[in-house]
Formats: sequence, structure tokens, C-alpha cells
Amino acid sequence: MNFKNILNDISASEADESLSSRRHVLRSFGSKVALAALPFAIGSLFNKTYGQTGSKLIEALNLALEIDYMQYNFYHIANNTGDLIPPSTFSGNNDTAGFRTIEQQQLAHINFLKTTITALGGVPFTPKNYNPLDVNPPFVPSAYDFTARKSSTYAPIFVNVFASYPKFLMLAQLLEDVAVKAYAWGMQDALGNTTILTQMFQLQTTEARHAAHVRLMRRLPDVSAPETPSPWIVNNIPPTIPLQSYYLGEDNTIQNDISLTTLPGTGGSNVTKIGATAGFDEPITRAAAYAFIDPFRL
Amino acid sequence: MEIINTPATAQVEEAGKGVDLSRRRFFQMAGGMAGAGLLFAACKGSAPTDIYVGSGDTGLLNYLYILQQLEAAFYTQAVATPYYGLTASEEALLTELRDTEVAHREFFKKMLGADAVRNVEVNFSPVTFADRTSFLSNAIIIEDLMVAAMNGVVKLFTDTKYILIIAKMAPVEARHAAYSRDLLTRNSFADATAVNSNGLDLASSPLTVMNSAQTYLQSRFDTSKLPSY
Repeated sequence: MNFKNILNDISASEADESLSSRRHVLRSFGSKVALAALPFAIGSLFNKTYGQTGSKLIEALNLALEIDYMQYNFYHIANNTGDLIPPSTFSGNNDTAGFRTIEQQQLAHINFLKTTITALGGVPFTPKNYNPLDVNPPFVPSAYDFTARKSSTYAPIFVNVFASYPKFLMLAQLLEDVAVKAYAWGMQDALGNTTILTQMFQLQTTEARHAAHVRLMRRLPDVSAPETPSPWIVNNIPPTIPLQSYYLGEDNTIQNDISLTTLPGTGGSNVTKIGATAGFDEPITRAAAYAFIDPFRL
Repeated sequence: MEIINTPATAQVEEAGKGVDLSRRRFFQMAGGMAGAGLLFAACKGSAPTDIYVGSGDTGLLNYLYILQQLEAAFYTQAVATPYYGLTASEEALLTELRDTEVAHREFFKKMLGADAVRNVEVNFSPVTFADRTSFLSNAIIIEDLMVAAMNGVVKLFTDTKYILIIAKMAPVEARHAAYSRDLLTRNSFADATAVNSNGLDLASSPLTVMNSAQTYLQSRFDTSKLPSY
């Protein structure tokens, strides 16, 4: 990249980047100049900031979009499957309303991410057999097999996923937790675009709200899932042993090189392992995220 | 840490009606305290006793550390004097919430080292901890505020490692918010007071959040150098 191209890139970026984004670049530029010779600093600046607004960011957003399509289809089928979701898991309440909220918000995410990816010059992911002329294009049930027939590990668990409320909730928990963890990883690809970075955080915490709700439904007496899930991820406990891989690394107690359980906690004790592990949702790589959702894609 | 725990029943009655509780509570508090002038004092220039939050990334970390101190103190008090009628399951989760916020608090303190602000004094006069509705209504306000704070702060950091750390913590705060919402009103975990029509959760600037958080803080803060927008 020569200097003239850099200047062109600056003006192109300034045309479509927010003020705060430019400020971010200028700030990191200042700190880098102190460390290195100027020409090298300029090259490094563009690799590390504007470079990230390219394909990596679109990859991160397209993974989020793919998971959202999957979730939308999953909940749309469930919400239209007879007696799957009980009208009353907890006295006087109606579980169906919660899952309609989740379905609606996954659809909103699909539309939002499609618009965002297109605006960045990327091509939004579409599920297998997607047809824009369908009555409801995001609903593509022939793209998915939520019973996971192709996986000898998962098929025995999810064979009755739309006939058993506990199994439905178990897969819902996996999909929501995976979405949260995939966003946690994807943030590193949005550092050069603070507008999208913030929006990705706002999308991630919505998924986390869904995850907490699903986990609470599994904890409550009518389901009473054996591992007594908390709304947050305590330690690395999976819903059932064959699903352990989804929660590997969640028992991490070291953050930013700080060993949390050596810090002072409550009543003269140290920070507990429960607090240390429940306090952080661990990222998963894009490869891991795809491996987790693959058994449910046709 | 001093904990002021005076029941405020008028506010309890208002709570739980669902619409922008934090802002409404701010105005309620403003009305209730107008005679004392406490809140309006906070809006003027800084006083010598104010806690200086700092500037740059240090200021932003201190800002989050102040909020985590508030959350940890809130759940520590709740575990010590829980609401009537809590189930064994709710008691277990309350302890996990306390432990988690204590872990968050100590994590920020450790990262800040010598730059950490002193222990803040909280003001829980808006909360009746023995009353389930009061406790949960305030928990929702505080947790939603924490989500808005983390989502809104990340774009201000210079050192991106803090952004990636907060990417692990913001969803945890959202899980907490969703849980308290569901306990108070089933299925309200992500209702329109938290998530907009694009499916985006809350995000607020540091100064907006500090203004709301002041409801629960006895200490006053000098935020003159705190990055915000």
C-alpha cells in the first residue's frame, strides 16, 4: 500500500465511518507513533483498524446471521407445533409468549444483519434452499434437521426435539449459548468499526437474555433438568455428557492474566469458582461455532 | 461499606409497571430530594470530596468498577436480608449472583491497581430488600443499567483488550437482567423496555449511566475527564 492509496482510503473511510470510529483510529495512531517509526506505524495502523472492516468482519456477521436463521427456523417450527410448548410451566404463566418473543427477535436480527452486511459491501448468507419469492423467505425448514440424524452422537438426544419440551429447551439452550459465545469471539473483527462493534454487543446481549430465559425454563419444577441449570453458565456443566464439547473452557478462572479465585471474595474467603466461571461467557472460534451447528444443518 | 436501607414504599408501588423504570425513578428521587438539593448538587461542578473517576481507559475502567461495586453491594445486602418468600432455588441463584458480581468487582479493582477509585458508599434507600417486588424491580433497573453501560462503553476504549474482556461480561449482565425480569414478570426477559424492534439491547453513554446510577450511590463523582458522548 503506498501513501497515496492510504490517503484515498482515509477519505473513503471518512465518508462512511462515524466520527467516533475516526477518533478511535486517531487515538490508536497516536500510541503507535510513540512505539515505531512513522512509515511503519502507518502501515500497522491500516492493517489493524481499517483492515478489520473487510472480510473478517463480514465473516463474523455472516456467522451471526447463519445462527439467527437457524434459531428463527427452530423457534418458528416449535411455536407452530401443537402441544410442544406448554401453556403453563409455571402457575399462571404462559411459556408460549416467551418463545414468540424470541422468534420475533431472531427474525429482527436476520433483517438487521442482512442490511448491515449489504451496507458493508458483503454478501449476506442465505440458507440452503432459500427462495426470496417464498411467502416467508427466512423460513426454510428444508435447510435444517434439528433431530441431527447425521450425527450418531446427537441423534439419540434430539430424535424427539419437537415432541419433547425438555429436549426442545436443551437444543434452544445450546443455540443461544453458542450465539453468545460466537459473538464474544467475533468482536475482535469489529474493532475498526465502532458503530458495528456496539451493535454486535447489543445483539449479543439480546441472545444472552434468550439464553437465560431458556435456562430458567429448564431449571423450573415442571422441567427440572437434572443438572439444575442456572440462567448463566456455571463452571462447564453440560445439559448431558455427550454435549460436553459445547461447554469446554467455561471452567476458566483466569481472565486477562488475573487468577480470579486468588482475589478476595465474601466473608474472608476468596472469589468463588462459581462466581469466577459464571461471570464470563467464553468465546468460541468461528470454526468451533460451525462445528457446533453443523449437525443440525442439512 | 456503609449501607443505607430505608424502605421507600411510594417507589415500590410505582415499580414493576414496565416502562423506563430507571428514568422514572430518577425523577421520583429528584422530586423526593428536591428540598435537600442532593441530586441537584451532583449536577453542578465537582466538589473537593467527589471521587475523581479519571480519564482515558483508566476512567472507563473506574466507571465500570464503580458500577460493579454497586452491584456487588446490592446482592451482598440481598443475601444478608433476602426477600420474604424466596424459594431454595432463588436463594441459590441469589448467592451465585452475589459471587459473580464480587468476582467482577475484584477483577476491575485488580486491573486498575493503584489507579482504582476508593470504595464507594451506596444508597439503597429506594430498595426494600425484604419485599420481593421492591428487590426485583430494583435489580432489574440495576442490571439493565449495567447492560446499557457495557454495551455503550466499549467504543470508547483505546486498548482493545478491554473490549474483548467486556464481550465476555456484558452477556452475563444480560443473563442477570433477564432472570430478574422473568422472576418479577414471566416472559419479560427481553421485552420492548430492553430490546428494540431491530432486536438490539440497551446501550448508553457513561455520563447517562452515571446519572441514573447516582440514585443508588451516596458517594459523588467527578466525571469531568471521563470519556463519554
